[in-house]
Amino acid sequence: MIGILDLGIGNLRSLSNAIHQNGFDSQVIKDETSFADLSHLIIPGVGHFQPAMAAVVDRKLRAPIHAYVATGRPLLGVCLGMQLLAARGTEGGEVDGIGLIPGTIKRLTPGAGYRIPHVGWNVLMTKRAHPVYEGLKNERDFYFVHSFAMVCDAADDVLGETDYGGPVTAVIGRNNVVGFQFHPEKSEVNGLKLLENFCLWDGKC
Amino acid sequence: MLKRCTSCNLPETYETIEFDDAGVCNVCRQKEFKDKAIDWSGRKATLDQLIEQYRGKHEYDCIVPFSGGKDSTFTLYHLVKEYKIKPLVVQFNHGFMRETLLKNNERTFKNLGVDVLSFTPNWKLVKRVMLEALIRKGDFCWHCHTGIFAYPMHVALKYSVPLVFWGEPSSEYTAYYDYKDNEIEEVDETRFNRFVNLGITAEDMAGMIKDDFEFDPRDLTPFTYPAMAALKRLRYRSVCLGSYIPWDVKKQVALIEKDLGWQGEQVEGMPWDEYSYEKIECHMQGVRDYIKFLKRGYSRVTQMTALDLRNGRITMERAKELIGTYEGRKPPSLLIFLEYLGISEEEFNAIVAKTVVPPFKPDFNAATAPKTHDFDKWYREPAHQQGIARKQMAGR
Repeated sequence: MIGILDLGIGNLRSLSNAIHQNGFDSQVIKDETSFADLSHLIIPGVGHFQPAMAAVVDRKLRAPIHAYVATGRPLLGVCLGMQLLAARGTEGGEVDGIGLIPGTIKRLTPGAGYRIPHVGWNVLMTKRAHPVYEGLKNERDFYFVHSFAMVCDAADDVLGETDYGGPVTAVIGRNNVVGFQFHPEKSEVNGLKLLENFCLWDGKC
Repeated sequence: MLKRCTSCNLPETYETIEFDDAGVCNVCRQKEFKDKAIDWSGRKATLDQLIEQYRGKHEYDCIVPFSGGKDSTFTLYHLVKEYKIKPLVVQFNHGFMRETLLKNNERTFKNLGVDVLSFTPNWKLVKRVMLEALIRKGDFCWHCHTGIFAYPMHVALKYSVPLVFWGEPSSEYTAYYDYKDNEIEEVDETRFNRFVNLGITAEDMAGMIKDDFEFDPRDLTPFTYPAMAALKRLRYRSVCLGSYIPWDVKKQVALIEKDLGWQGEQVEGMPWDEYSYEKIECHMQGVRDYIKFLKRGYSRVTQMTALDLRNGRITMERAKELIGTYEGRKPPSLLIFLEYLGISEEEFNAIVAKTVVPPFKPDFNAATAPKTHDFDKWYREPAHQQGIARKQMAGR
């Protein structure tokens, strides 16, 4: 069973539909009680870092998420859900993240001529091979909506970047944890492929 | 005068064609890539892995959609002989199968020792959708295009058999999928919608015919591509054998003739001595090819000689000679087709005239091609059943 964590921050339905399209069952979960039954866990998210992280803390999910990851099962964060995986966020003041990926969430600074938020289709340039990229060609387009992005401490954690007035982290990965800054569930055939690959992934690299 | 490929002679009205600066078409360039740049030994290793991945895990190792023509016969032969695979053979009967084909099929099935399912859709519905597709697209074969590619996928689901093997990849003759992309052509819903179904889904078709034709919505299920979620749940793969081994029609025909006793047949409008192996499965092939000629100014003789030109098996001079002699003649089966649909030749011509692909300008007064030897055995609609039974309109 693939669990979609409901932090009260949106886009659960489109994600569960995309997973259903790929022939998998998913379940929306609100707390840690069903973590044991999961083969895969997805943390979606639309909104702001601080209230989302507050929801993680209020529901006492931080330690269970770490415990889940320690079992080796795959974890995926999508958009804000990916950002929450970082050590810290800066949106609305500095705040600790879940802390699975060393790095900081920082506001995009693309320079003159670029609007914030970064909205629309943009090209994913993959940095290294990974099971979630199986069968995916490089430089495909994915759908982004964000004003902040992860700056990883370790370059090796960056699996893919896009260009928006400079490189922007688009895919991260460390052991059995991956994250997409863009929305795979809104990225048509290539997004569906990434989600399918994630759902088939055993968490090993 | 139509612009033509300087290498294979296909004209500018051919689907997906483009010409480069040398006047050579993209289908020829694909073929060069196929011959020179594809790692066929690597592809063969991938095929070996694919077959082993699915072997012995389900009621059958794979589904082989099968018409009995040269390509599906070779595909079945190759998989059974080379891989000792246990396939479920699935035959979609379009309604026009010829005696020679059925005898070939019997010989093939008995020789190879395979299980076979045959499915024939509702003829009354088939007649109505043939007319609709003819009017809208100048291609009456919608039920066959969609049924052949959708129905075996339903069978894959019903039997929970995830692996489906088709034969010839479309890159052999069109550029909807380009050999130069160097990837496996997945025979999936994307491909189905890209060029198989003429841009008409079964749901579209239901809406197009519902006002004047009475049918059960389930009658269109065999022509409907199954839901992606269901196929993905099966973790299906639907691929062409010709994506893994280089397709060579003439070599393959020689092989199935020798080992299976497969026989060619006369096809209306074709030079029977040269091309007895292509499209022998349908007694409406002559009408299909005739319409193609009226629409696009070329027909099957051009296509077959183009393949031979690409393979260096015929001279351009001989190709042009065959095309000049045989192409564009009116098939005797047109009469039978008109009886099915209950339309006159004038009505037929008026429908086809609306679908002509410029700059070609058709001549509807061509000489008639000779009858094939089995013409008198082809199904004729009895006089009282000719045409389409229309629904009684409310309030009339």
